[in-house]
Amino acid sequence: MFTTPARLFLRSLKTLRPTAAFRSANLAPCARRTMHSSMVRYHAGIERPAPGTGIKIHFNDSKGTLIKTVEANEGDDILAVAHEYDIDLEGACEGSVACSTCHVILPEDKYDLLPEPEDDENDMLDMAFGLTDTSRLGCQVKLTKALDGMVVTLPAATRNMFVDGA
Amino acid sequence: MKLAIIGGGPSAFYVASRLHKLLPQTLDYRIHLFDRLWSPHGLVRYGVAPDHPEVKNCTHKFDEAALDRRLRFFGNVNVGDNPSPLQHTVKLPLSSIFSNYSHVVFATGCTLPKRHSELPPSASCISALSMVHWYTQHPNAPSPPPLDKLSHVSLIGNGNVSLDVARMLLTNVDVLRKYDVPERVLDVLAESTVKHVSIVGRRGPLEAAFTMKELREMINLPDASMVPLAPELLQPSEGVPLTRQQTRVLQLLSKGSKNTFGTTAKTWSLDFYRSPAGLMVPSSENTRSQLSLAHTVVDPATQRAVPTGETSTVATDLVVTSLGFHGEPTAPYFDPGLGHLRTLSNRIVTNAGTTLRNVYGSGWASAGAHGVLAATMMNAYDVAETIVNDHMKHGGRDESRPVAGGDTGGAQN
Repeated sequence: MFTTPARLFLRSLKTLRPTAAFRSANLAPCARRTMHSSMVRYHAGIERPAPGTGIKIHFNDSKGTLIKTVEANEGDDILAVAHEYDIDLEGACEGSVACSTCHVILPEDKYDLLPEPEDDENDMLDMAFGLTDTSRLGCQVKLTKALDGMVVTLPAATRNMFVDGA
Repeated sequence: MKLAIIGGGPSAFYVASRLHKLLPQTLDYRIHLFDRLWSPHGLVRYGVAPDHPEVKNCTHKFDEAALDRRLRFFGNVNVGDNPSPLQHTVKLPLSSIFSNYSHVVFATGCTLPKRHSELPPSASCISALSMVHWYTQHPNAPSPPPLDKLSHVSLIGNGNVSLDVARMLLTNVDVLRKYDVPERVLDVLAESTVKHVSIVGRRGPLEAAFTMKELREMINLPDASMVPLAPELLQPSEGVPLTRQQTRVLQLLSKGSKNTFGTTAKTWSLDFYRSPAGLMVPSSENTRSQLSLAHTVVDPATQRAVPTGETSTVATDLVVTSLGFHGEPTAPYFDPGLGHLRTLSNRIVTNAGTTLRNVYGSGWASAGAHGVLAATMMNAYDVAETIVNDHMKHGGRDESRPVAGGDTGGAQN
C-alpha cells in the first residue's frame, strides 16, 4: 500500500539556465549561474566480493557484542561498507569530513597500521562522542589486506550526550 | 500513531527518519511536520554558511525520510498563538494539533538571538543572526549590512557563528561566487570596504566555544592575516588538564595565521578577555562608534569572567553580537530560566511540574542552542526511541490523545 523508502539517489552537477528570455529596458539579463552541488560520495552500494575472497571486517557494538561479520574490497572505506551491509553507522555529511557521525573505534594494532589522520579529520574527531586513542572517522579508513579480520567497534550513544556535550 | 512535529528542521527530520526505522513497517502511522517557513530544513538552509555545502549533505537523508508517503510537510504554517514574524503564515492553533494528533514533538529550535545588556540594537549594533539571515536570504529579509561604509567590524562572541560571519566578511567575493551565495549578497560583498574584523570574547582561548574546523579556516584564510597573540595568552594554567580540543586550539593559535600578519590588506584579531561595557554611536564629535571594553580575568573557582577594573576603547564602525540563542518566551512550555522548553527525558514538563503524555521536545528547543548536527541527530534518535518505547508500553494503541496540560506558560490559548 505504501511505497518503501527510496534508496539514496545520485545527484549530478546541473547547470541552471534561465528559461524565458525576459527582455525589458529596466532589467539586466539574468546572470548565468551554476547550481552548486556537493559531490555525492556514495553510489547505491559497494560491490560485495565473492564470499571468502574479500577483506573480513567484524562490526561490534559498544559492549563488544558482534553485530555482523562482512566482507569488502581493498579501497572500500568503513562507512561505505557499513552502509552496504545495513550496519547502523551514520554518515550525515556523506564522507566529506564535515561531521563526526561515522566515528568508529579500532583495535590498537590495526590503528597503528593506518596512515595518520589529516588535520581535517582530527578537527572532526575532536567533537566525536566517546573519543578514544584509537578512534577514526569511518569514511576516512580505506581497507587493505593488512586489515583483514579487523574488529570495528561502534561507539556508545548516550541519552545525556546532548546535554553534557559542547 | 498520528504524530505532529512542530518544526521542520534537522531535529524534526531526524526524529521522523528514526521513527520510520523503528516503527513496524506494517503500521499505518502518520508523521506531519509543520514549519513557519515555506521550505523545510531549518538551520541547514538558513544557518549553515554558504561556503560549507558539505554540511548540507544531511538533507539527502531528510529527503529519503520524506519520500515515505506516511510523512507530510506543511510549510508556511505558524502553530500556536505567537504572532509570526512573517506576515503571510497561516495560523493554526495549538489546540487543533492536540485534538487531531495522538503524539506531538516540539522541534522549534532556539530562534531568538541573545542580546547584550550594554549593547542595545541600533544602526551601529546588529545581531549576527541578522547577518546570517542576510547571507542565507532568510524570508525575514533583514537589510544588508552597509559593508561599503565600514572598515572595522567588532564581533562580540567566541562561537562558530562569530567565526562564520568573520569568514564571510574576509573571504574574497570571487571565492564565494562558487557557492550558493545569492546574487544580491554577492553584490553587497563585492562593494565591501571591511579591512579588519575584531572577534571579542570575555574569556580566553580555553573557554572559547568555537571549534577547530572553523578556527583553522580563519587561520588559513587566503586574503587575511591574524594579529599574533601574546604568548602569555596561550599558556595553560599550571596543573589544569586540557581536553584534546583545547590543546589543539592552543597549538594552532601559537602557530599564527598562514599569512604573516601585515602581508595582507585584510586582517583579523582574537581579542580575548574583553567584555563590552558600552557603545557610543557616531555623533557630531565622532564619526566612528566607540566601543568600551572592560578587561577581564577568568576566576578559576567559578570559571566566569571577572572585570579587573581596567578598560579600553576601540573605534569601530559596526558591532555584531553573536552570543547564542534562546527560545521564544511566549511559546508553550517555555521555561524563562532555561531559555528553552522544559523537558525531562525528552518529555515536555509543564509549569506545574507534570510530565505530559505523548508530548515531547527535541533538538535545541529541548536542550538549548548547543550542538552541531551530530549532537542533534543523536538527541533526535533518542527522542524517537522514547516515543516508540512509550507507544509500545501502551500496547501500541493510539486512541490516547495528548493532554495539553493546563498551564502552558506565557499568554496562551
